[in-house]
Amino acid sequence: MRDKLQAIVRNLGLYAILSPTFLLLAVFCFVPFVWAFTTSLYDYEIGGDRVFVGLANYGEYLGDPTFWSSFRNLFLLTLVSVATGVVFPLGIAKLIFSLSGEHARYLYRVVFLVPIVVPGVATLMIWGGMVYGDNGLVNELLRLVGLGDWARGWLAGPDTALWAVAMIGFPFASGINILIFYAGLAGIPESVHEAAWLDGASGVGKFFLIDLPLVLSQIKLLVILTIIGVVQGFQGMFILTRGGPGFRTMVPGLWMYFNAFSFQRMGYACAIGVVLFLLILVLTVLNLKYFKSSEDLQAAL
Amino acid sequence: MIKPKHILLVIILGLSAWALWPSAEERAGGGRLGDRPKASEADKARRPYHLRVAPALYLPGTMPNNVGKPLEGLTHVAEKFEALFPDTYVEFVGVPAVREWLVTQLAAGLAPDIINVNVEDVWQDVQKGWYVPLDPYLNRPLPFVKPAEPGSRQWWDVFKYQAITRGKAAPDGLSYCISFDMVETGIFYNKDIFERLGLGEPKGWPEFLALQKRLKEAGYIPLVVPLGSIADWGVDLVFDQLYKSLRPGIDLRTDPQRAAYLEGYLDWDEICLLHQKGFFTRRDPRWVDLWRILKEWRQYWNKDLSSADPMRLFVTQKGAMFWTASWSVNQLARDPDIAFKWGVFYPPPIPASFNPYGDGHTMCVIGGSCTQLTVTNTAFSDTGRPETSQRLKRVIAFLQFLTLPENAEPVINEVKAFLPNIVGVEPHKELLVFDEILRRPYTTTKWSYTFDLRFNEIFQRMFDLYLNGGIGEEEYLEWTEKNLDAAARAILVRKKLDLAPLERRWEELAPARREMKGLPDAR
Amino acid sequence: MTRKRRDLVLHAALIAIAFLTMVPLLFVLNNSLRTNNEMYHAFFGLPGSLVSIAKFTWYELTGQPDRIRLRADEQERGETRAADLPVQTLSYRQAMARLGDDLSRGYRYSWKVLRPYMVNTIFVCVVTAVGVVLIGSVAGYVFARHRFPGHRMLFVAILSLMMIPGVLTLVPSFLLVKQLGLLNSYGVLILPYIAGGQIFAIFLFKSFFDGLPEELFESARLDGAGHFALYWHIVLPLSKQVVAVVGVMTILGTWNNFLWPFITNADARYHVVASGLYLMGQSQVAANFSTMFAAYVLSSIPLLVLFIYATKPFMRGVTSGAFKA
Repeated sequence: MRDKLQAIVRNLGLYAILSPTFLLLAVFCFVPFVWAFTTSLYDYEIGGDRVFVGLANYGEYLGDPTFWSSFRNLFLLTLVSVATGVVFPLGIAKLIFSLSGEHARYLYRVVFLVPIVVPGVATLMIWGGMVYGDNGLVNELLRLVGLGDWARGWLAGPDTALWAVAMIGFPFASGINILIFYAGLAGIPESVHEAAWLDGASGVGKFFLIDLPLVLSQIKLLVILTIIGVVQGFQGMFILTRGGPGFRTMVPGLWMYFNAFSFQRMGYACAIGVVLFLLILVLTVLNLKYFKSSEDLQAAL
Repeated sequence: MIKPKHILLVIILGLSAWALWPSAEERAGGGRLGDRPKASEADKARRPYHLRVAPALYLPGTMPNNVGKPLEGLTHVAEKFEALFPDTYVEFVGVPAVREWLVTQLAAGLAPDIINVNVEDVWQDVQKGWYVPLDPYLNRPLPFVKPAEPGSRQWWDVFKYQAITRGKAAPDGLSYCISFDMVETGIFYNKDIFERLGLGEPKGWPEFLALQKRLKEAGYIPLVVPLGSIADWGVDLVFDQLYKSLRPGIDLRTDPQRAAYLEGYLDWDEICLLHQKGFFTRRDPRWVDLWRILKEWRQYWNKDLSSADPMRLFVTQKGAMFWTASWSVNQLARDPDIAFKWGVFYPPPIPASFNPYGDGHTMCVIGGSCTQLTVTNTAFSDTGRPETSQRLKRVIAFLQFLTLPENAEPVINEVKAFLPNIVGVEPHKELLVFDEILRRPYTTTKWSYTFDLRFNEIFQRMFDLYLNGGIGEEEYLEWTEKNLDAAARAILVRKKLDLAPLERRWEELAPARREMKGLPDAR
Repeated sequence: MTRKRRDLVLHAALIAIAFLTMVPLLFVLNNSLRTNNEMYHAFFGLPGSLVSIAKFTWYELTGQPDRIRLRADEQERGETRAADLPVQTLSYRQAMARLGDDLSRGYRYSWKVLRPYMVNTIFVCVVTAVGVVLIGSVAGYVFARHRFPGHRMLFVAILSLMMIPGVLTLVPSFLLVKQLGLLNSYGVLILPYIAGGQIFAIFLFKSFFDGLPEELFESARLDGAGHFALYWHIVLPLSKQVVAVVGVMTILGTWNNFLWPFITNADARYHVVASGLYLMGQSQVAANFSTMFAAYVLSSIPLLVLFIYATKPFMRGVTSGAFKA
């Protein structure tokens, strides 16, 4: 005990250096985290009184009319986002990687990085207004080729709204996902390629049997990041459809926002937030436990 | 070493600094929407009371509907006011039309001092102390007028449409807003198309549907209307047609102060009790018919209710009729490229021949007050209490100053959108047709203002799905019932409503109900 | 397949994908140069002003200056119908001035609205990035190269905070800043970002510093260097790559953050580009297509500049293998 105290005093300077970090974290990260749980146990209307209700908010959420549709939408969106966020960039990264010129490879990597410079909000508004609008790109193209009957309000139709939102970003080639996969592919040791060539494996077969398992750690990372992003993200819905028509594009995060800032039911909103947090926690733990990374594979070989 | 890339960086930084520097006009204090170019920082500093007003459509510097010149009416009023009160500076701001934003700012005490908000939204939150009741000031004389002019006895007297203005009092009996001007809805129609097809203004609902059928066959969209308007106006109008005859048996509260205009109006507590008695459920035949009538009407509207641009469809003559309000006159009357003549009529009544519960009485109105100026808790933020606040006095003074005829006229008539509610100020001639419409009786209830936002949100979404074929009638009715149940329960708790007096009145009115047909049975 | 053939196929595929990706952006750029009227009538089409510039230049060069004709300015027409406006013959210079005015109108109007937002955003982003890099690198250095009581526990505590999703803390954070009185200020935009962003920065910096050889620090310490000197002269210069990655990602995240500035700011003074664009889209400005599209283009320029200079170190940082699970 004594030397522990001595050690602390000796390192006082270090603690002092770390104090801004901890102060900021305590105030802006830890306090809200704790408050989320405590507020969810109250029926709290902003500007009104707080009434302790225990777990009633959670019970009410399970019976909420939007509960099943929100989570169904969330599930579908997650599947689509993981697929588009992993499959397309991986394919494109492989295409770039297979080019022979170093310059060309660099050039393409930069080209696919360019769409990031457009702010997220602008991208959403461009897609919502210009691409999906009544007189927008999709409808005008359809009219141009004579399929004008198929033109409709993509974001307003009960059957098309969710898929329209999922398809935003269409070739799904922008972002750093391509870079991450490229780094993964570049990290495959040359010896593996040589061994494969000696064994006569090449082309598509080689890609699936050899390259893919070795970029598994990148895939794992992107899958978990995408899932976390989709589960808690609702910016797109907020700007484009506000959850409509009906509740066809409603997601739990957006319903939480409405409950907090529109209906002023802070306690209920925090309860929804806690439910989402638990979902993310479960998914992350599952991902870490059950998907072996490529390091484990290489160690096992 | 210095590479060309670095030189480029310096150039870019230089250009950015130049582009980001405020322009000369902005530095002088103007440039932002609503800002007044002549105020300098020193001048602002001398004036301790800095009032913020959000006048919505009249925001100086904006061009409503992109026609005409930028507005400046309020700028002049503010300058005259500041000459009278050297310790006050008035700033005009625009606020986002998103309701959550306003609620957040009110909770934080950061909203503008005077805002324009539908006072029924205010009624939901009066128990939080966010708004200032204006009755003490309305009942006293107006300071700026001469002895014989309107307002010298009471501020109330400057308002032209007395019944409507007084009818804006909340269920707690207090007035939280002043009605600056009036608006009404109407069906604008393309006279050229009507002439060509030999159609006239319809006198009854069946005739109305028939002419829409003719228009559709001729290749036009008979009626263009946005979803929000239908969910609000359409529902209330048809509801009034079907339920008005029941009023003697279901109007459970008479409110003498509001009776002149709101006779028979059903407030939230009355609706709660009636719902308990079986009204507005699947067992209420009028309720079921209400939705059927709207669904039948839907086939004549634009295909895409949410994202289509109805004004554009009307102006390009793809739509023959456009259900909008008087604010559209500003664009229609001033846009020189409109190549057709247009007129306005009001939806016709539903006769008994069309629906057993209709009795053909004149269609009610649902508009009335447009710019409803409300004073928020920011106004007394200097002392925290309205009784002792000096700042609040300035805010009220500005509001009073604004309602003088010589000040209201240049502001309201700068746009051709609304009818002035101030005695002595005449509206534009294109708006006179709405003056006639305004004299009709008010609706039985306004559904979008009865309950909380959660109710509205769910209701509008489900209505959207129902109209677009996303859900069937059975499922839709089930949704509305559950939604009403939840909203009624919530408001009973929130407003601490006591239904006992209403229950007694219900018993008293039983004889009146004996003759009525089509009443639902209680659960 | 020969290498050349294979390359051609790959290039074709990649060019097709790149084109599809760029299509919306190209349309935005094109439409930002057209006037509102043009877009009202037809969706596809080159900016009329550009076409006119080409045409008139050709006329001027081939000696037909009398064919340079334009309709009178629509902006000044008052109550006259567009179809009734007279066609005037202008000199080349006048025509160019008018066409230049038409082309730039969208940009000028949107810049008037966007400029204060841009200033705010740049300020907030730069301060946040500097704050995150400083605090992150310092903390990462301390955790990597020093052993003191509780260092493991504290580090794990910090990392675990990375697990907190934004959605959980959105509402409580709002209540917190309301109580702290930070609403409507730069503070509410900067402090929470630094608090959150530093976690990832600390993680990256620590991993990087873990890999540095101890001798580097030993020799400097023997020379009598204190913490600050060690940091300034050795740690910072070596970590350029990580600084680039952290800096770029922080700026990117801060630039794109829309929801938080939207709900915490009442005053137009403190809005950033993201929330400003949304407000523009909700206001009367939205009816003016060329202004909105010009706004999208303008809001992308700063990040474009950033990427021109930061791509190389950024890509190197990503490829260095720090990004794996």
